[in-house]
Amino acid sequence: MAEAAPNIDKITESVDTIKTELEAHRYICSDQIATAVYLAYHLRKPILIEGPPGVGKTELAKTTADMFALPLIRLQCYEGLDEAKAIYEWKYGKQLLYTQVLKETLDEVLQGAKGFAESVGRLHEFGDIFFSEEFLEPRPLMKALKAEEGCVLLIDEVDKSDHEFESLLLEMLSDYQLSIPEIGTLKAAKEPPMVFLTSNNTREISDALKRRCLHLYIPFPDVDLEQRIINARVPEIPGELRRQLVAFIHELRDMDLKKVPAISETIDWARTLLLLHADSLDPALVRDTLNVILKFQDDIENVNAELTTLTSKATKT
Amino acid sequence: MDRTLTNFIRALRNADIRISTAETLDALSAVELVGYEDRGALKRSLALVLPKTADEKEAFDLCFDQFFSAEDVSGQRGRAGEAGPEDAEAGEDDSEGQGGDGEGGGGGDPEGRQPPAAAGKKKKKAKGAPAPGDQGEEEEDLGPGETSEASSDLGRLLMTDSKVELSMAMTQAGEAVDVREIQVFTQKGLYTRRIMEEMGLGELNREITDLRDSGSIPDRRLGQALRQRREWLREQVRDYVERQFLLHADADGRRLREDLLRKVKLSNVEQRNFRLIQEVVFKMAKKLTALHSRRKKVYKRGQLNLPRTLRNNMSYDGHIFDLHWKSVKVDRPKVFAICDVSGSVAAYARFMLMFLYSLDEVMPKVRSFAFSSDLAEVTELFERNSIEDAIAKTLRDYSGGSTDYGQAFADFKRQCLDDVDNRTTIIVLGDSRNNYGDPRTDILKEMYDRCKRLIWLNPEPRNSWTVGDAEMRRYQAYCHQAEECNSLMHLERIVGNLLRTVQ
Repeated sequence: MAEAAPNIDKITESVDTIKTELEAHRYICSDQIATAVYLAYHLRKPILIEGPPGVGKTELAKTTADMFALPLIRLQCYEGLDEAKAIYEWKYGKQLLYTQVLKETLDEVLQGAKGFAESVGRLHEFGDIFFSEEFLEPRPLMKALKAEEGCVLLIDEVDKSDHEFESLLLEMLSDYQLSIPEIGTLKAAKEPPMVFLTSNNTREISDALKRRCLHLYIPFPDVDLEQRIINARVPEIPGELRRQLVAFIHELRDMDLKKVPAISETIDWARTLLLLHADSLDPALVRDTLNVILKFQDDIENVNAELTTLTSKATKT
Repeated sequence: MDRTLTNFIRALRNADIRISTAETLDALSAVELVGYEDRGALKRSLALVLPKTADEKEAFDLCFDQFFSAEDVSGQRGRAGEAGPEDAEAGEDDSEGQGGDGEGGGGGDPEGRQPPAAAGKKKKKAKGAPAPGDQGEEEEDLGPGETSEASSDLGRLLMTDSKVELSMAMTQAGEAVDVREIQVFTQKGLYTRRIMEEMGLGELNREITDLRDSGSIPDRRLGQALRQRREWLREQVRDYVERQFLLHADADGRRLREDLLRKVKLSNVEQRNFRLIQEVVFKMAKKLTALHSRRKKVYKRGQLNLPRTLRNNMSYDGHIFDLHWKSVKVDRPKVFAICDVSGSVAAYARFMLMFLYSLDEVMPKVRSFAFSSDLAEVTELFERNSIEDAIAKTLRDYSGGSTDYGQAFADFKRQCLDDVDNRTTIIVLGDSRNNYGDPRTDILKEMYDRCKRLIWLNPEPRNSWTVGDAEMRRYQAYCHQAEECNSLMHLERIVGNLLRTVQ
């Protein structure tokens, strides 16, 4: 981030350069993730990222934007999201105002017009003006297309949106263009946006959408990778404690819980432990801080019952 | 067009991974970008482009490993040459080395069986052209390498000991005899022989025979060596055919079995097929889910939703810009399933419950009841356990006792008739054999009047519905629909209809 304009060509030269660059931006990733970014950049395809919550799906998009020093445009999906909120909307107020103004000057406009046909002809000219880009309020998708230098477009939690919206995205994703009935087709600026879609898999994404995207599944990281992630995010934490807490989290993930802790929870927990000046895990400490990593009372009770065994397993070298 | 890739995609499709033409093109451009050199990178790249669900990714992993160890790169001859060293080194470490450059073309032989007397071969390779006259200066089994040159093409190929070329020839022969068309496992022998013949087995056999009768010792040694190699080659080809079978035909056979299972009577399903039939059920359920997961809206055309329109246009000073039309959301069916779980019908109940609960994405509101004499709600069992466990528990707890439909209906009335409303679909699964007890059709009538649809599924064929103690004739009067249902196909059709019904 220090340098003004990172050399994009250089970053995207190979999978490894992307990986190192992402790591420089404190996003530790597997080869698979770096390959995804590499392919997405070179093939100009959107990436659909799936995986359990909290494994860094959104973070990947943010970091990529950082890495390329491009603006990040984010569209959060929810049920009922429609084109007026995602693509564009007419500035009705402005249109109304201008209509009022026009009303007053109507006489001047129509002055000298002979007959009804000519009057209507003149009025038509105005009609076209009302539906021009001047009166268009761009929303995230359109903004992304209009970004001159390219941008990173993050369509977050696309599984929360309706099916209709999914279909709406198709044109955008395959051709980087949008059709606006009143104006015509709007094509991407010379650099099409890099698109990331994330999904928590609350429902199946349609085949049509999947077909247009690279599909990246981010699973929970293995012990080694997670330690490196913690190291990058919470560098102050002592090495031994880091090993222990990652081991503990991995024990939890093997248990049958309502919601297993994700990476973001591991990071939170690491910060918490750091704040408490802990230097190794013990059952009492874990019991007190369990609510940082587990979000259901049932889970907390379940884990509490086996806390001693779990802790001793994690602290064992 | 890239043959290897298209073949790979074909293998993937066989493994039930859906790949469209557009994705094939994507895969091509991805391969252009990363190339075949780095197996890991190739796998990671294709894993992004081709499989699109977590399940598919697993299948893809398996398929990739299988395919790119088996496959030579027939479309990539040049590369194969570069990647698989053809000189002495190949012979030297081929037992381990092949795995590494698998996609490079050398990997026709995952086991890396060392050809017999490979040590001798190395030497010969190193010297390049054979040097006749220099015969027999080494130990017995090394002799042949130094001696006469094999005259047949295949013989020469075998004597060069280049695995890369051999597996290439093998694949070529495989293509020539269309080994990909292999259908059933009994064809394995046939294809093995065909490939051998295509590679020139006849000529080789003749040569071996000739050499055996030949007077000169080097010739005889050559014959010996060729014989050994022929056996070795036969094993290689057999392995190759086996892999092709797994890649291309096994799925077909499986599909055939699945098709059969769909039609077979559920009570006749053998225990060993349970797992498979479960998969079939889940697959069917998934298909129905995909078909119906979209929450439909029916627009009442031309009717303005006045309140909504006014509300939404307030911000425009009351000018009506933005019109909203009346629409009705199509409700997901609310299903009550009442299952007879007494001995004769239990097998059907098992699969119907499995089916209904596999559809939880599109039918979130299933309540189920089980009875043989007394009826009890088992919905909670299904909420807390996995489908299989819940079914096992249901059958264990409720399947004893003789069937009493009258009692069961009375129980149902007491427990939850009040919950039945005009959006509820009730499915009764049972053979209606009431042991001559009171059928209590009055309660069924009450249910019939209250609910939206009452469907009776009877596993027995229609003509035995009225035979013996069966009460179907009486019950049928109070059903919207009474169907014979004893195979997965029936089940699929009925559930499909259920989901399709619009109010």
